[in-house]
Amino acid sequence: MEAFRELFQDYRFAVGFVIFAFLAFLAVLSFFSPYDPIRQLQVPRDRPPSWSHILGTNSKGQDVFWEATFAIRNSLIVALIAGILSRIVAVLVGFLSGYRGGTLDRILMGLADGLLVIPLFLILVMVAMLLRGSLTLVNTGLLLAFFGWAWDARTIRSQILSLREREFTKTSVLSGNGTMALVTREYLPFTTPLIFSTLINNIAWAIGMEIVLAILGLVRLEIPTLGTTLQWAITYQAMLLGHWWWIMTPVTLTILLLVALYWLSVSVSEYLDPRTRIQRIGAQ
Amino acid sequence: MRFVRDYLVPRLIQYVLVVFCGVTAVFFIPRFAGQDPVLEMIGQIQAQGASLDPQAVRSLMETLRELYGLKGSLLEQYLTMWRRVFTLDFGPSFFQFPTPVAQLLRIYLPWTVGLFVTSTLLSWILGNIIGGIAGYFSGKAWSKVLDAVIMVIRPIPHYIFGVVLLILFAYLWPLFPAGGLALGRRVVINWNLIVAILRGSFLPALSLVILGGVVWFQQMKLLVQNVKREDFVEYARVGGVKERRIVFRYVLKNAMLPQITQLTLALGQVFSGVLIVEMVFSYPGIGLLLYRGVTRGDYNLVMGITVLSIFTIATSVLLLDLLYPLLDPRIRHR
Amino acid sequence: MRRVLLVVGLLMFFAGVAFAQLPGNVPRNETLIVDQLTGRVGTPSNFNLWAGWRWQDRGLQQLVCEPLWTVDYATGEIICGAASELPQYNEDFTKMTVKLRQGVYWSDGVPFTADDVVYTIDLHVKTPGLLYHGPMAEFVDKVYKTDDYTVVVELKKPNSRFHTHFLDRWGCLRIMPKHIFEKVEDPVTFEFNPPIGCGPYKLLDYDPAGFWTLWERREDWQRTPTGMLYGEPKPKYVLFQAFETEEAKILAMLRHELDMAQFAPEGLRVVLERGETTRAWRKEWPWVVNIDPCITGIVFNNMVEPYNNKDVRWALTLAIDMVDYMATAFDLMAPPSPIHLPPVPAYIEAFFNPMEEWLKNFELDLGNGEKFKPFDPEIPQRIAIAAKERGYPVPEDPKVLRELFGIGWWKYAPDVAEKLLKKHGFTKGADGKWYLPNGNLWKISIVTDTNPAHHHYRNAMAAAEQWRRFGIDATVNATEAFNSLHLMGEFEVGTMWPAAEPWGAGVDLSRTLEPWRSSLVAPIGQAVTLGPGGAARWSDPRLDEVIAKLEATDPFADVETTRLLGIEALKIVVAEMPTIPTYGYCGAVAWDEYYWENYPGAENPYTQPYQHWPNFKYMLPFLKPKK
Repeated sequence: MEAFRELFQDYRFAVGFVIFAFLAFLAVLSFFSPYDPIRQLQVPRDRPPSWSHILGTNSKGQDVFWEATFAIRNSLIVALIAGILSRIVAVLVGFLSGYRGGTLDRILMGLADGLLVIPLFLILVMVAMLLRGSLTLVNTGLLLAFFGWAWDARTIRSQILSLREREFTKTSVLSGNGTMALVTREYLPFTTPLIFSTLINNIAWAIGMEIVLAILGLVRLEIPTLGTTLQWAITYQAMLLGHWWWIMTPVTLTILLLVALYWLSVSVSEYLDPRTRIQRIGAQ
Repeated sequence: MRFVRDYLVPRLIQYVLVVFCGVTAVFFIPRFAGQDPVLEMIGQIQAQGASLDPQAVRSLMETLRELYGLKGSLLEQYLTMWRRVFTLDFGPSFFQFPTPVAQLLRIYLPWTVGLFVTSTLLSWILGNIIGGIAGYFSGKAWSKVLDAVIMVIRPIPHYIFGVVLLILFAYLWPLFPAGGLALGRRVVINWNLIVAILRGSFLPALSLVILGGVVWFQQMKLLVQNVKREDFVEYARVGGVKERRIVFRYVLKNAMLPQITQLTLALGQVFSGVLIVEMVFSYPGIGLLLYRGVTRGDYNLVMGITVLSIFTIATSVLLLDLLYPLLDPRIRHR
Repeated sequence: MRRVLLVVGLLMFFAGVAFAQLPGNVPRNETLIVDQLTGRVGTPSNFNLWAGWRWQDRGLQQLVCEPLWTVDYATGEIICGAASELPQYNEDFTKMTVKLRQGVYWSDGVPFTADDVVYTIDLHVKTPGLLYHGPMAEFVDKVYKTDDYTVVVELKKPNSRFHTHFLDRWGCLRIMPKHIFEKVEDPVTFEFNPPIGCGPYKLLDYDPAGFWTLWERREDWQRTPTGMLYGEPKPKYVLFQAFETEEAKILAMLRHELDMAQFAPEGLRVVLERGETTRAWRKEWPWVVNIDPCITGIVFNNMVEPYNNKDVRWALTLAIDMVDYMATAFDLMAPPSPIHLPPVPAYIEAFFNPMEEWLKNFELDLGNGEKFKPFDPEIPQRIAIAAKERGYPVPEDPKVLRELFGIGWWKYAPDVAEKLLKKHGFTKGADGKWYLPNGNLWKISIVTDTNPAHHHYRNAMAAAEQWRRFGIDATVNATEAFNSLHLMGEFEVGTMWPAAEPWGAGVDLSRTLEPWRSSLVAPIGQAVTLGPGGAARWSDPRLDEVIAKLEATDPFADVETTRLLGIEALKIVVAEMPTIPTYGYCGAVAWDEYYWENYPGAENPYTQPYQHWPNFKYMLPFLKPKK
């Protein structure tokens, strides 16, 4: 709780937290939606925002606001599955590979390179076809996680490589500290900002990828996500027909989500960074 | 010599294995995906209601299977594929039969490389310099405003960003064409041609530079904020080193290292990473070519492009690993 | 500040130097720019359309090739192009005589004669790599000329439809220039660049990446069939351009950089709302071309349980509320069709109107002696009411409504559907969901194309919506393997064309019925040759009989018999419902009247309206320049 109070003193954390809480609230609201997210022609079509439909209605006869609650929920599911799973793998692989080096390093990096060299679209399209159906939410998340770790594992590994050569590693090793202690006490604080920044990058990437997949028609377009909502708005020319409430909703939500994540991560990683802490305490 | 035995040789073996496994995967994955290139072509011919009688279709299926080289067993096809990889002759594209894949690559590659490499480098340089400076002066008001603006631009979906650029600069204020490049089959290098190319490439390049630049900016800013707090920067400042020198020599240079890794990998995305931008601006790029190949079950074309992609990325990662100690003296090969 | 000035200066420079420059620097006011339907050309330097798919709608089939005959579905006529009259058969259909038009020249100045036709057919008989090798080798015994303008083809076995291989309907065997091909070593790999034809235009330039192709009018256009029939084609240049996205196409038309294009219905609305000189095929709502000779709908795999059961197929038909279906699928703008034919003018007269009484009295057997008449003639009125509620200016005249929305469709009768299903052991659970006779949950995954603007996708989306409402767990499965899955039969329900496109003119339905010939039905896992209609893998001995009778009928000499056989066949297909026809394909065509006018709109349909059809060449002499 102490930590939270300290964090909230940073306006970026406060704002990011409030936005994120708001979006999470929207996602929870979807469970109370009066409409079925998949059914069409439930409300009059193409109506601008009004009291009965606060964000208007779309050309499919759905309420934009309630669709958006499902969209944000589903996109969060995809992005979190992709982001968190791939972070766990990336951190493990990056640390192991960077610290242990040798054959293990070569095997792990070989794997990572193997994933990096194959164009992603090829695999995504093929997997969608193999599954004999378009991608569901969980499948999309897993697939993105599977491809999302390689790049960042390399980044983390190079950070570890550089840390390994520094004085404090030798000091720590010489003073008889175990590997675990070294890694958790010395390396983790140094790499946390990096891990956090790769996390937001990865979530941003996952959300962006989901949008690209939706625009290419590779995910199940009936299930509302930020990507599919956008895809339908594009298909029905919402932008050029002046249905701004329809196209702006997924765009705004995407921006809000990523802004919140960005500020949260920047603020948290600064908080966790041992050097800034000293500065902060010193300043008080 | 210890370097060669302990590092270089295993690293080269790893390189060869990555390429081998990558190419093998790209060979087998499409063949198990349930799409038959011959039937896709028949579907294409029949889609607009072109009239062919059953007899014609049956003989066409036979002919196409023959011409596409899909007659033999999977193993035979696999061996043929390797022969083709080594001779860099990937055979004809199925969907664009009988155009050879090599010819398609010759047409599309320069466009992609021209646009993508230029804009990636530009966005990398701009993003890193601006991001680095903004990171060093992160307390200043202008840095915070810039950070906020970029933070909002970054999540905008590329498709929307591109279409908005089109609406602004190809419709409301029609400076640039709405799609395509007006170059003919007999290309004469002259002033008009250069202008046409620049006009046709400006909007896609602009969107790539902005959308790529903001990512580099954010990464670099975080890195610099980190490095800035390192002891040696502190010492330098206390030691009275000029600020400009601190920013460029001490901070930026150190923060740059991870960014170089990222750049190599980003350049490797040339083969699929800019699909949406190519689409929105009807740009003759390799990403679009590959995507159409993938969706049509065009095995040869997919193979041709991915083999290029695999070689480029694997080789640049290899070079990077070998060169890294030169850039960061603290790292030794072990 | 300096940088800002530099940027502004650079922009001004671009704006000034090369404003709206066209390929080849051709003048805009003499150029007609049209959208290429099938997208970017994959084989830009190859024009040999006899040897494979060459994106023939890049202008090749419209401006260069002049076939013997062409179908026009708007006027219901068959146009004699390179031939001077319709073909003549002998008594037992073993000999076809073709008279050629005189005074026609190839675009390189060589006269067009019977030698070209004889050469073309001969070459196809002996060259397996050519697209039409199959039917030519199967049927042609010998081909010879009796004089320079008369060709006789003797057939190995009777075939009353042999001429249809030369009847252009988005593709046919076009005549090759003998003087070019006889010098070629391998006619299959030959690139045919530049293409030589009897059409009124010749190649000027093209984009090596395939985005555009530019054609120039022949100076000797008088020596082409088009010129002789209709006069001078007005545009001096025609530019075919491919766009990767709908937005780019819309913006190009709004900037007057595109004269003719086909959009999705929403794109059409944008162009009409924002453009001042744009128009659609019909000037008033519902704007779209509703006379397209192609029918859309739903296909069942008749070899898979439970879709091999006629009652199940009918139950699924009656579970559809057509008004809502049309609202989801095409914003109420397309004409529903209860039979497996598109409602083009010729067919309304020959089939729809004569069949109306029969449709009204048609009965389904619900078991226990219960009968049900499923036809609903009220659908057009109900669509009109729904469209009025949506705010569209809907005409009041019932005659116009009938023209727009056809004669009716099938009733929305979920109760009847329920009876039909329960008759076969289907059960409805307490959760409101349907269960198969074996007790499993009934799931329908509708296989469709990945483009959400395509009629395939729109049908899948609307059908899934309707069936979900009925209590079936239906989903849309958009996949790139769409064609493969349909042709191989590895699907249960899909949205391939529910019936093959008919000729579009005349009363001969042989083309629609052909895919249902029992000898063409292939087992699952083996590809069917004719996907549209044929993907249903359905046949019926009664239909085989009708097809055999049709084969023995001359479609030109014995029109009435041909028509009655068509009706007989349609009745069988309706009763069995192997595929559900939903609505006629609609082209959301838009034209910009900034540089050109007098397009073949609904008020003056002098020819079919598409720029991608081979008949495009017959439209060009009627266009009028505005500037």
